Amino acid sequence: MEPLLKLDNVSSFIGPFHILQGVSLVVYPGEAVVVLGRNGAGKTTTLRTIIGLIPASDGQIILDDVNISKMPPYKAVRQGIGFIPEDYGIFDFLSVEENLLVAMWQEDKASLDRRDYILDLFPDLKVSYKRLASTLSGGQRQMLSIGRALVNDIKIILIDEPSKGLAPIIVEKVRDVLLDFKEDKTIVLVEQNFEMACAVGDRFYIINEGRTVLDGAVEELYKDKELQKKHLGFVTA
Amino acid sequence: MSYISNLMHNRPAIKPGLWILIVLTAAVLLVIPPLSSLTTITLLSRIFILAIFGMSYDILRGYTGIINLGHALFFGGGTYLAGIMFSRMGPTLDVLLLAVAITLAFSAVIAYIMGQFAFRGTGFIGVIACAMITLAFGEIARHTAETLREYTQGADGLTFRVPVIFQDRVMMYYYAFLFMIIMTLILRRFVNSPTGRVMQAIRDNEQRAKFLGYDTKKYKLIALIVAGMASSLAGIMFALLTRFANTELLTVQNTLNALLYTIVGGTGTLYGAIIGTAFVQLAQNYLLELRGIHEIFSRWLLFFGAIYVLVVLYLPKGFVGAYLQFQAKRQSRKKPA
Amino acid sequence: MHIFIMLLINGLAEGALIFLMAAGLSIILGLLGVVNFTHGTLFIWGGYVSIWIFGLTGSFIIALVAAIVAGFAMGLIFERLFVRPVYGNVTAQILITLGLMIVFTDLVRLLWGPNPIPASRPEFMDGTWVIDSVIISQYRIFLIIVGILVAIAINYIVNKTRVGMVMRAGTQSPDMVQALGINIKVYFSGVFAGGAALAALGGALYVPLVGSVWSGMGINNQILAFIVVILGGMGSYYGSAVGSIIIGLTVAMVSWFYPPLTVYATVLLLLLVLTLRPQGLFGLAVRN
Repeated sequence: MEPLLKLDNVSSFIGPFHILQGVSLVVYPGEAVVVLGRNGAGKTTTLRTIIGLIPASDGQIILDDVNISKMPPYKAVRQGIGFIPEDYGIFDFLSVEENLLVAMWQEDKASLDRRDYILDLFPDLKVSYKRLASTLSGGQRQMLSIGRALVNDIKIILIDEPSKGLAPIIVEKVRDVLLDFKEDKTIVLVEQNFEMACAVGDRFYIINEGRTVLDGAVEELYKDKELQKKHLGFVTA
Repeated sequence: MSYISNLMHNRPAIKPGLWILIVLTAAVLLVIPPLSSLTTITLLSRIFILAIFGMSYDILRGYTGIINLGHALFFGGGTYLAGIMFSRMGPTLDVLLLAVAITLAFSAVIAYIMGQFAFRGTGFIGVIACAMITLAFGEIARHTAETLREYTQGADGLTFRVPVIFQDRVMMYYYAFLFMIIMTLILRRFVNSPTGRVMQAIRDNEQRAKFLGYDTKKYKLIALIVAGMASSLAGIMFALLTRFANTELLTVQNTLNALLYTIVGGTGTLYGAIIGTAFVQLAQNYLLELRGIHEIFSRWLLFFGAIYVLVVLYLPKGFVGAYLQFQAKRQSRKKPA
Repeated sequence: MHIFIMLLINGLAEGALIFLMAAGLSIILGLLGVVNFTHGTLFIWGGYVSIWIFGLTGSFIIALVAAIVAGFAMGLIFERLFVRPVYGNVTAQILITLGLMIVFTDLVRLLWGPNPIPASRPEFMDGTWVIDSVIISQYRIFLIIVGILVAIAINYIVNKTRVGMVMRAGTQSPDMVQALGINIKVYFSGVFAGGAALAALGGALYVPLVGSVWSGMGINNQILAFIVVILGGMGSYYGSAVGSIIIGLTVAMVSWFYPPLTVYATVLLLLLVLTLRPQGLFGLAVRN
């Protein structure tokens, strides 16, 4: 099977700092890949490099047979990526409605239908639909951020630490949405919360000091305490 | 060792080669007067004086990271104060001394007030607010000079006489040269002092300097006051040289002159201002001579602006900066790390 | 009492003109994070282009349109060639736009000569109305109407259109806007050029008011606009509108009683506001 997303030895810099020094990974259609690693290993930078917010200085990024490594962010994203950053990236001066509308690549019936589906999925958003997004709680922001990524017909979703700082009940909700999404779409998930990672992820990659150092099935990592300790610095109970 | 003390121990060493260059230049300068025309001598005198104006801007932009768009008010203020006092109280040395004292006090006070408002913010907003507020101060000074016709002759400009010892062009040339040397030494001492080191830390990263416990606003104020005083002294020397003051001296344009001197030469180098001033003044002079060929060459400002934009875009470190970079590159190629 | 009505109208007309400059400056600052010192120059160009076209066509409306088009085109060129390479570097932006200010101000002198060129008001607006012995200049009323229309238009664009959505979103986080698949650079160019067009329109409208066009009129008005931008809170067009009215009225009042004090009064007002409210009347709408 052809991979949907392929990173081949990707490098990138933030200012003078060489953050990614060779990240390689493949994501097949329909699977959920978890990117793990310690703080500062380069997980978030990997996601930002994929969509071009941080230009890749070396290596190749292929999405669905299209080389997106040199594309400006807006073009790369339009190849079919939904991006959900760690801080949700909600626009405070826009209403919930506008946050969804501004994200639409086309304001056609399919997009509007997807929006309606999202509003059914997250009733909270329906309630505050006309309100400024600055009034939303952290959990609602996460829902809006996910919803915003789903208004377009995307092939793959990149999501950065979706469970961070959220109440357990909302984390559960997010997990359910991701599991649901996984049925027919592809996910790249950066996650510190190992439970979440195990619940959603099929395969994992571990990034250390800007390099992918290990990959395998999530189940195996879950069982192998030694491996966890070595690469992640913690052990599941 | 902390960042600041690192900076303190890491004095920019002036290489022997540069010293030789400086001594050589000085010698040539002392030999030039007997051999040159009065026009050349006056041009060189201008360069010496304006170089200090440029250097004073380097204290702000190059060493502290401040953009002051009203800096001309100190230079023009010095010229005007000296001119007004000479024309009202007579062109004597006593009046000159008084003018120096009053001008220094004036620029210190104005710089203090200006800084109080201009240095309120930090970061991105701070830089912008500072630029706008200093621009407003500069325009107030220009407006004042235009309005107080009784003292300044308004737009016609003020012509005045200067003490006898400054009337001889060659003597004035030496005074201007001496002025440049002395001011350069003083300012060099200043930027290498502990205060100067803190200023450079602010330039590199104001937030960090703040975290290290420095009252960054205070140091910016000090920089502005010193730069203002140096600039106003250059203004007085300019008065002695040209015996004329007009409101052009107080315009944003004149502030940009100083900025261009330091940018062309290289910011944060002090000496760069001398090279920059010489380059700009000579270029201006050369273009004026081409006026006969085509009228376009009389539009100095067009060229000035174009040079300025190109330097900012493509040579942000100036000639001296580019040279130092080139040197560093060659060094590292010789001894690969 | 009559005097106050007259000063009110003068002040509002002045405010409307300042608003045309300040609104663009403020929005550019908010979205692009760029402080644009070419704004005063675009103001002058608007004035000269309108006079030139007015001379050719005899139509005031065509002259205004020409000024807007010229401002827009210059704005596009400035943004593309000179501002884009230095996004994120405030100091370089200030220095470069200042350089452009010098070049394009001198270019005006080269093209149209160094002396002021007299200009007249279009005939259909040159008259006055006398209402209960208060003399009201038609042109000033026209300026106030233009100011209000522009304010309404900006308000509509910012709050009701997709462009406005992207602008508000981009003011907070240009990166996130791009990460949603929007080419924000197009919006940057458009907003910069739009602000430039407004400044040029301001210049074109200013010239008939004062009766002549000269190359020094840019810097004065630019400083007024800067004062308004700081006063209103950087990045807030709403604050710009209120600030413009305040400064317009101040200018009208002070220049009625003693014109030379006008500049001092406006700067004094600014310093006063900064002392009491460092973030401006309406706070900062700019990412810091």
